[in-house]
Amino acid sequence: MLELKNIKLSYGSTQVLNGVDLSVKRGDVVSIIGPSGTGKTTLLKCINSLARPSSGTIAFDDVRMDYQKLDRTAIQAIRLRTAMVFQQFNVFKNMTVLQNVMDPLVVVQRKSKEEARRIALEELDRVGLSNKIDSYPSQLSGGQLQRTGIARALAVKPDVMLFDEPTSSLDPELVGEVLKVIRDVTSSGITSLLVTHEMQFARNISNRIVFMDRGVVAADGSPAEIFEASSNPRLTQFLTTEHSIQ
Amino acid sequence: MFDSEVLLPDLWDILGAVPVTLAMALGIFVFSTMIGSLFAMVEYRRIPLLRELVVAYKVIFKGVPMVIVIFLAYYGLPPTSRFLTSLVGIDYNGHSTPNWITLIVALTLCVSAFQAEVVKGALNSFDNGQAEAAYSLGYRKTQLFRRVMLPQVIVAAIPDLANSIMVIMKALSLGFAIEVVDIFAQSQLTAALNFYYLEAFLIAVFVYMVIAYIVTFVADRLERSLRV
Ligand SMILES: Nc1ncnc2c1ncn2[C@@H]1O[C@H](COP(=O)(O)OP(=O)(O)O)[C@@H](O)[C@H]1O
Ligand SMILES: [Mg+2]
Repeated sequence: MLELKNIKLSYGSTQVLNGVDLSVKRGDVVSIIGPSGTGKTTLLKCINSLARPSSGTIAFDDVRMDYQKLDRTAIQAIRLRTAMVFQQFNVFKNMTVLQNVMDPLVVVQRKSKEEARRIALEELDRVGLSNKIDSYPSQLSGGQLQRTGIARALAVKPDVMLFDEPTSSLDPELVGEVLKVIRDVTSSGITSLLVTHEMQFARNISNRIVFMDRGVVAADGSPAEIFEASSNPRLTQFLTTEHSIQ
Repeated sequence: MFDSEVLLPDLWDILGAVPVTLAMALGIFVFSTMIGSLFAMVEYRRIPLLRELVVAYKVIFKGVPMVIVIFLAYYGLPPTSRFLTSLVGIDYNGHSTPNWITLIVALTLCVSAFQAEVVKGALNSFDNGQAEAAYSLGYRKTQLFRRVMLPQVIVAAIPDLANSIMVIMKALSLGFAIEVVDIFAQSQLTAALNFYYLEAFLIAVFVYMVIAYIVTFVADRLERSLRV
């Protein structure tokens, strides 16, 4: 369904992505793990062209794009089929929770207000925010902000969800409520890519784990293969460090 | 020495200049905010060439004293406007331009440079994460701007914009140099008639303070009702 080939990207003279290959099947829940600064966020952003690789190709179902050519139609087509959840939430600060979720439906998908509202209320119920729909972001906790971000992403009915460290900016006591929502979402069958440092969680919800290291995919396999049977020394070292942090 | 009997008649006299002063201030505020916003957008979008011109403009008009700009406009506008209108075949006597228009033009030129900084600051305070979120959802640039950015930028700019209304109010007193009568000039004229200078200027202080209070109060209320 989604296939990235030989993605290369550098910021100035630092090469961030060194030829990443990644393919995702419909229904896959893929967790991407790896040390900070390896390019995990950047890779997710390449998918919806928030970052622009210098070379490589992407195939998203029938949409194919070569990153060396600027193809606005393809970029927009992929953006309409994916939705991203950000580490810093990035909810619209001038809108209420409900407006945050409705706005893309009205502005981008040109749905009627009534229909947008209906869908938004449904998704907000799903993330447990029915009692906060008229609150503004400044009145919400991090966990509530992130759940707003998740509802906003779900409401556009994407084919693929992109989660970029959705719980990394949260106070520890708020991580649980967000992980619970993500677990519900991924178990509903929607194809998901999840960058995370929550190893146990990744292991439980994913059918595949991708280990990124220094701008490439260094290991790729089932949770059991990655967490128990890895022969990659960098991966073993990474898992040990992560384990001792948690 | 101090004569409280002249205070009331002086006050009426000086209050007479308030509507004109406020009207000019409002005009300058509106024009300079529009021009300043254009300048800020040029810088924010990093439009080549125009951007360098804006930077040069700001250096000039922030650096040169306003009173010099007013005199330059006073002596320079009539021949310039005459020349420009003659290019399109109209015979316009530039020397018939009223001085209050000259003052508005000169101060608009100066204040635009400051407004450009205010708006630029507000634009820069907008966090890019929200823009990324909007793009990832398929928003176009203009949709992002209208739906998300503009509402936040306006709120962020309100305190400094209100501040510039007061800067304009005070700058208008320089209009005295080309015989435009604002609150300050009126107090000067009133005092010249009865020689009670201290009284007249104290009343001017009072009037300016009341206006400053109202402007600050309204801006504060506006900001609070818009900030969420
Ligand atoms: N917009 C940017 N400009 C310059 N460097 C960047 C930018 N975004 C990320 N980087 C750099 O790219 C590298 C990879 O970043 P990132 O993809 O965020 O890593 P990760 O998500 O794996 O921690 C880091 O060294 C980071 O400093
Ligand atoms: Mg990251």
